[in-house]
Amino acid sequence: MTTAQARMPRSTPPAQPTEADKQLLQFAQGVELSARDLYKKAVESGKFADDELAMLQMFGEHHNSYAQAFNGLLGKNSNSTRNETLYSAHVGQLGSAQSAYAALQELENTLAATNTDILGQLRGIDATKILASIITTEARMAAVYGTLPALSLTSALNSSANSLAPTIAQAPEAPTETTVAP
Amino acid sequence: MNNISRRDAIRVSGLSVFGAAFLAACGKQSGVVPSANIVSEGVASELATLPDGVVNDAVLLRTAASLEYNAIDTYNAVIDGGLLTGDYAKLSDAVKRFRDDHQAHADAVNQLAVAAGGKAHTCANSRIDTLYIQPALEIITAKDNPDISMDVVALAHALENIATQTYQGVVASLSTSTLRADAIRIAQDEARHAVVLAQVLNGGYGSVGPTTNEATGKPNIASVPAAYGSLATVLLQVGTPNADGLKSTLTLETPSLNALIYDYVDCQ
Repeated sequence: MTTAQARMPRSTPPAQPTEADKQLLQFAQGVELSARDLYKKAVESGKFADDELAMLQMFGEHHNSYAQAFNGLLGKNSNSTRNETLYSAHVGQLGSAQSAYAALQELENTLAATNTDILGQLRGIDATKILASIITTEARMAAVYGTLPALSLTSALNSSANSLAPTIAQAPEAPTETTVAP
Repeated sequence: MNNISRRDAIRVSGLSVFGAAFLAACGKQSGVVPSANIVSEGVASELATLPDGVVNDAVLLRTAASLEYNAIDTYNAVIDGGLLTGDYAKLSDAVKRFRDDHQAHADAVNQLAVAAGGKAHTCANSRIDTLYIQPALEIITAKDNPDISMDVVALAHALENIATQTYQGVVASLSTSTLRADAIRIAQDEARHAVVLAQVLNGGYGSVGPTTNEATGKPNIASVPAAYGSLATVLLQVGTPNADGLKSTLTLETPSLNALIYDYVDCQ
C-alpha cells in the first residue's frame, strides 16, 4: 500500500452552483418535472396493473425526487414549471401499453443524454455529484424497457437520444491553486 | 528513622552492580571488536519504499481502464471456460457484446489518460483481481457448486455495478467538466449491462425495484435498486449453498488509494 495520497496542484472547483450552473439546473429540473407528469399520466391511464403499475409509479417517484433534489441546490431559484416541449412530445404516445413503453424508454434516454450534457457544463461539484447519481439511474430505467417484456440487447444497451440541454457560458474561472494535504 | 536493614542494602547494591554490568555488555564497550571479516547477520539493507503516488486525472483514468480489463478478462474466462451452460448458454451473445463494450471503453479511457499526460494501461487491476475476482471464481467453479452458470452471471453483475460506481465516483474528482461527462457516459453503459444481467438473475416487472428475500432477509438483485446511483459496497452471493441454503457472501468495493494505477505502476 502506498502512503502517498497527494494531488497535483490544480484549481479547486466550487461546491455550490455558479450562476450558469443554476440556469442549467433549472433546465434539468424542468425536464424532470415533465417526466414526473408523463409517468403520472401513464399510471392514471388504466392500461397498467399490478407489478407494471408499481414499476411505473416507482419511476415517476424517482423523477419527482430528482426535481426535489434540484430544489435543494437551487433554493429560491428553483423552477416549478415542467418542460412543455418534452412533455408534449411524448404525452400523445401513452395511448397503448406498447407505445407507452417505447415513449417512456425514449424519455429516459433523452433525460440521460440531457443530464449528461448538463453535467459536462457544470462547475459546482455538489450538483455534479447528484446529477451523476441521477444519470446512472436514468440509464438503468431506460435499459429496463429493453429487457421487458422480452430482452432486446440493442434496445437495452443502445441509445440514440439527443440532448435537449441549452449551452450556457460559464464566467471565467478565478485562478486559485491549492494542494490537498495527504 | 532509617528502616533499611544491612541485608536490604546488600541486595540493592548487588542489583545495581548487575544492572550496570548488563548495560555495559550491551554497548560498544562489551569487548567485541568490529571486523570486516565477520559476516554481519541481521543487518537489514535500506528499506525499499514505494515512490510517492500522485492522484490526478491520468491516474483516475488509468485505474478505470484497469477495471475495464478486469471485466474483459472475466468475460473471456467465462467464454473460454464454457461456464455458461443450459439456459444460460443463450447469454453468450450478450457476454461477447459486454466484453467488446469494455474493450471500447478501455481504449477510450486510455486515450483520455494519454491526453491528460499519463500512459495507457492495458491490463487488469491486479489488486481487484486478487482480492475479488479470483476468490469469487474459485468459489464459483468448485466441483460441488450446482449453480456455476448463475453464479458467473452474478459475478458479472457485481463487476458491472462496481464499474458503474467507479465512473460515477470519479466524476467528483476529475478536474474538468468534459472529463466528468466522458466518465458518466461510460458509467451509463456499465449500468445498462448491469440491468440486463439483473433481469437474468431476478427477472420480471416485480423485480425491477428493490425487494428482500424473505428466507434470508437479504436484498434481492434489482435492476433499479434505488432512486440514486449508489456508491456503497456491492454484495455478491455465490458458491455451494450451505445446510441452510445460504451461499458465501463476498463484498466488493471500488478501487481505493491502494488499488489506484499510479503513474509508476506498469503491467507485469
